[in-house]
Amino acid sequence: MRYLLLTCSLYMSMLLSAQTPVNSSIFGMMEARWLGPGTMSGRITAIEGVAKDGKTIYVGTAGGGIWKTTNAGATFKPVFDRHNQSIGALAIDPLNPKVIYAGTGESNMRNSVSIGDGLYKSTDGGENWIRLGLEKTEHIAKIAVHPAKTNILFVAAPGPLWSSSPDRGLYKSTDGGKTFEKILYISPDAGCADVAIDPRNPDILYASTWEFRRTPYSFSSGGNGSGMWKSTDGGKTWRELRQGLPAKPFGRIAFAIAPSAPENIVAIVEAAETGLYISADGGENWKKQSATLNVVSRPFYFSTIVIDPHNPKRVYRPAYSFSYSDDGGYSFAEASYEGGWVHSDHHALWINPANTNQLYLGTDGGVYFSLDRGANWNFVQGLPVGQFYHAAVDNKKPYNIYGGLQDNGSWVGPSAAPGGVGNNAWKPIYGGDGFWVLPDPSDPVMAYAEYQGGNMARVNLQTNKAVTIKPQQGPGEDKLRWNWNTPIATGTFNKKNLYTGSQYLYKSVDQGRNWVRISPDLSTNDKKKQQQENSGGLSADNTSAENHCTIFTIAESPFDEKLIWAGTDDGNLQYTTDGGRTWTNVSPNYAQAGIPAQTWVSSIELSRFDRKTVYVTFDNHMYGDHKTWAAYSRDMGKTWQVFSSPEFTGFAHKIRQDLLNKDLLFLGTEMGLFATLDGGENWFRMKNRIPEYVSARDIQVHPVTHDLIVATHGRGILIVDDISPVRKLKKKELEKEVVLFTPEPVTLSMGQFGDGGFPSTGGWVAPNPPSVPPVKYYLKDRLLKGDVKVEIYDAAGKLMQSMPGGKRKGVNLVSWNLRMKPPKVATGGAKVDFSGFVAPMVMPGEYTVKLKVADSVYATKMKLVHDPADKNFTPDDRLKQYKAAMDLYNLHERLATLVDTLNDRQKKLGEAIRQTNDSVQKKKWQQLAAELEALRSECLSTRQKSIFAEEKKLREDITEVYTSITGQEAAPSNLQLQRITQLQAELKKKEEQGKMIRQKTDAALGAGKKGF
Amino acid sequence: MKKIVLSLFAFALLISAKAQTAEEIISKHIEAIGGADNWRKVNSVKMEGVLQVQGAEVAVTITVLHNKGMRQDISVMGMTGYEFVTPTEGWSFMPFQGQQEPEAMTAEKLAESQDQLDAQGNLVDYAQKGHSAEYLGKEDVEGTECFKIRLNKKGGTHETMFIDPKTFYVLQSKTVQKANGQEMEVTSTFANYEKLPEGIVIAKSITLPFGEMVLGKVTINGPVEESVFKK
Repeated sequence: MRYLLLTCSLYMSMLLSAQTPVNSSIFGMMEARWLGPGTMSGRITAIEGVAKDGKTIYVGTAGGGIWKTTNAGATFKPVFDRHNQSIGALAIDPLNPKVIYAGTGESNMRNSVSIGDGLYKSTDGGENWIRLGLEKTEHIAKIAVHPAKTNILFVAAPGPLWSSSPDRGLYKSTDGGKTFEKILYISPDAGCADVAIDPRNPDILYASTWEFRRTPYSFSSGGNGSGMWKSTDGGKTWRELRQGLPAKPFGRIAFAIAPSAPENIVAIVEAAETGLYISADGGENWKKQSATLNVVSRPFYFSTIVIDPHNPKRVYRPAYSFSYSDDGGYSFAEASYEGGWVHSDHHALWINPANTNQLYLGTDGGVYFSLDRGANWNFVQGLPVGQFYHAAVDNKKPYNIYGGLQDNGSWVGPSAAPGGVGNNAWKPIYGGDGFWVLPDPSDPVMAYAEYQGGNMARVNLQTNKAVTIKPQQGPGEDKLRWNWNTPIATGTFNKKNLYTGSQYLYKSVDQGRNWVRISPDLSTNDKKKQQQENSGGLSADNTSAENHCTIFTIAESPFDEKLIWAGTDDGNLQYTTDGGRTWTNVSPNYAQAGIPAQTWVSSIELSRFDRKTVYVTFDNHMYGDHKTWAAYSRDMGKTWQVFSSPEFTGFAHKIRQDLLNKDLLFLGTEMGLFATLDGGENWFRMKNRIPEYVSARDIQVHPVTHDLIVATHGRGILIVDDISPVRKLKKKELEKEVVLFTPEPVTLSMGQFGDGGFPSTGGWVAPNPPSVPPVKYYLKDRLLKGDVKVEIYDAAGKLMQSMPGGKRKGVNLVSWNLRMKPPKVATGGAKVDFSGFVAPMVMPGEYTVKLKVADSVYATKMKLVHDPADKNFTPDDRLKQYKAAMDLYNLHERLATLVDTLNDRQKKLGEAIRQTNDSVQKKKWQQLAAELEALRSECLSTRQKSIFAEEKKLREDITEVYTSITGQEAAPSNLQLQRITQLQAELKKKEEQGKMIRQKTDAALGAGKKGF
Repeated sequence: MKKIVLSLFAFALLISAKAQTAEEIISKHIEAIGGADNWRKVNSVKMEGVLQVQGAEVAVTITVLHNKGMRQDISVMGMTGYEFVTPTEGWSFMPFQGQQEPEAMTAEKLAESQDQLDAQGNLVDYAQKGHSAEYLGKEDVEGTECFKIRLNKKGGTHETMFIDPKTFYVLQSKTVQKANGQEMEVTSTFANYEKLPEGIVIAKSITLPFGEMVLGKVTINGPVEESVFKK
């Protein structure tokens, strides 16, 4: 009974909490800009095309979801933004190309690999997806669909990387994925890495199993669970293939069947003697082929081999580089890079079966296509799936974003650029894998960047020249241990300070020219976790990715440069209050709050509002624990409170407190960006064009623009411009139906850039932030009934502009271009006159913003100011410009009135002419009509309709001067002013002519009428 | 007491667990917008609207004669263009950029435009009209957990509609349109729902990718000559 009551109340409270309004929708129209870039893209894990058309292609990525092109790669759009972003495998139903399967959790098992949450299916070409199951597999390497009975499919799941699991193995469905049966299972430590169906006899299947495991400090590929398998009864029974293969144990096996002659199979078998093996009898017998370095390199990471759909001898090996064979894998040639460099590290290849010259290649740096069977490649520039680790910003205008990317080095790009932020706006500054890239806060020319294992440099941003600044081992010190993703930090209190850490913390006050070690070994220094030289398993693999017992995160207090915190990858969280002389380890304290002891301390955020408050994220996924660990302490780490939320998914990377509102926090995890408005009581998942399960690795709030900048591991940089309205949404405001925000003074401006005159010719181009701050208001609920309007009045109460307003729940943005309404322009010409869209900019002063929501009116003041820093456009220039613009504005309106009169009299004459039988009268009226037309055709262009034929009359003459003067930030020139006088005289003359003809016409019509 | 609690609990579960079908949701939607009977009486619709671009106005008039024709007139500063579709032909004339003669619609666009000839909306009697509907579950649309319905249209295209569970109005719809051999997703967001004297309820604000169209005068069953659907 009590239990029931409890359940009931729990249920009710769930219902109530479901009504809590605070979620991402309060951001309303404040949606993320996808900055990309597309110039360095991210790791591509799967490519599948629709065989029938050869231009509809799906691209699966390591951390950016699925992208679809319907034009062979000219443009892509994401189709998986509400789901897990790590894609392991894709498959298209061969009979119905609208049916797509997506296995989440890529299987390129590097240290930074993400984790999936099952198998998905779309039946409408990617518009809608449902999850079919296999949630606990974490990684899916391959999906094979039966060529004829397409409800039959096989899913190869290597399974979890960081733990044992019974969920690995080969699964089969016979009902299009509704249910699955595990049909090949080795052990909790060995999963299924690959599967293929014989296209001629689909009862014959091949599969490879793989035993592998990572810990935070080691990797092992290989074991008795690895093997090559065959079934001849659709997967009911399996037999291991051994004849001619090397001695076991094996590691990972990648293989391919020749689609046109399926008894031919090639397999790269990782073993003590790794090599390419071929079989010509359906896997019964194998022989080793001569193989190049590219064939045998890093088998755990390069697991792709593909045979041409029609030619069994043509074998492709996308791996460290791209090689191909014309003799069934006996010899290989390397691709030429004539068409440009091709990013190394390849994981996916799709060959168009209808045109086997056409290939799409997935690399660690994006997609390339070839039209000559892989000999040369073109880069696809429109896929913004870069994998950032960290991002930093400077205070330039527009500000720049600095960031390092997985296998794509260190880059700097602007937050805004003329015409939008295109690929060419980004600049590479350092190579290798990129991690921390920081501008020097006190030297605008310098930045710090690194590649894996602590190889850091000071880079001159003007010349790109780099100076190595990595600290070196000192006398009596242990060998230095540098994390894969070594921390570099600049001072928060003292911007001249620069920090980095191996197991020791270092500080420099001269840009890394000289360093002082300011700590003992801050890690646990557990020797068992320091055997990296033995890492890899069957193939040695020790690229610093497994380095352990190292410092991972560093933060200097905003209150005191001597107060420094450091966190390690093996669970230590320590601080010093005396610049490094003494250190306090608070890890036992956070362990008391339930946080696992050996976890990575992934980020430390020291509050700007309280010296003793610290926010920390912990990442324990390398021990198989995916929980979102984030906590705070208000007493220097003595006691800890863990944040929790039913919304949380993914292990935690970063926590960031807003710069002005202490209760506004952002939390980035491997599967989403989260926010709270109440200091962490209630969290919600950020949406608003932020992919819902994006890997959010780093978060910045810009101190000047108030932008939220998110560095994602798979979707590049995302920016939510100016989050200041959300800062103001405290509990009281959230409960109001409508909140009209009072804007900060707005600088009168036509935007920060000109347009350059030409549009982009392709590639990723991110839009710029609004060039003028929009009018902002908050609606508690979406308005489905009633209208919304925003009106601007000047100080005299004159209506300057009226605009339709958004009705969206949350913050609405209405852009006003700071101009009044355009003039009424003479109508009836051969072309539309552009002046009808152009209005003079209003003058500095105080304006009133009125917001009308259904029947209610809200008002606030808005101050518009002239930019005092603009030396090329003084207040006096502005006044002259305004006056000239208004003179021309009035000319347009007067001309419109004149032309209206002419049109009106022409109409009247026309009617009269139609109605009369009096030929004398008719002739007289026709003559008048001709006079009216003669004048009208001098007032505006009436003959040349083609845009290629210019015809300039008075209206067009006014427009030329009017649009020039109103469209630029400059005083009018002497000749422009002189021209206005001429045009005024000309209009006056026409008005007089018009008056005369009008009088004549009225008299004639009057006389004529009398005669009826 | 136990019984009450049990039944309360069961009731609560029932509410939440009750399987929704596309048919039920659409029928509630039709009810919310005035009922099928009122909609079936609609033979012609004329909607006069305005698209506003920083104070400059573009006037748009949409005329639909049920199953016979759909015409849009666009007027910019005294210059007028149009586009119309009938069951057999479609033409457009947009002189603003120098076009001097009406141009025929491609066969593909004509086929895709056929559902616009339905003055009663595609959802009224959708099954009899040859469309089918699927309920795809709930989805968050800008903060509202909407019912998601996919209408598979007779002509082969489909439209995904997001229906507000409180009012049963369509809050947003997505269509994939083909233009120049390219697929393009078009999202329309509806607001300012208003009941007309004829008893039907329509959205007088439609936000399209290029801006918001605000509808003014709407005439139901006014005289519409078939001749307006000729070039």
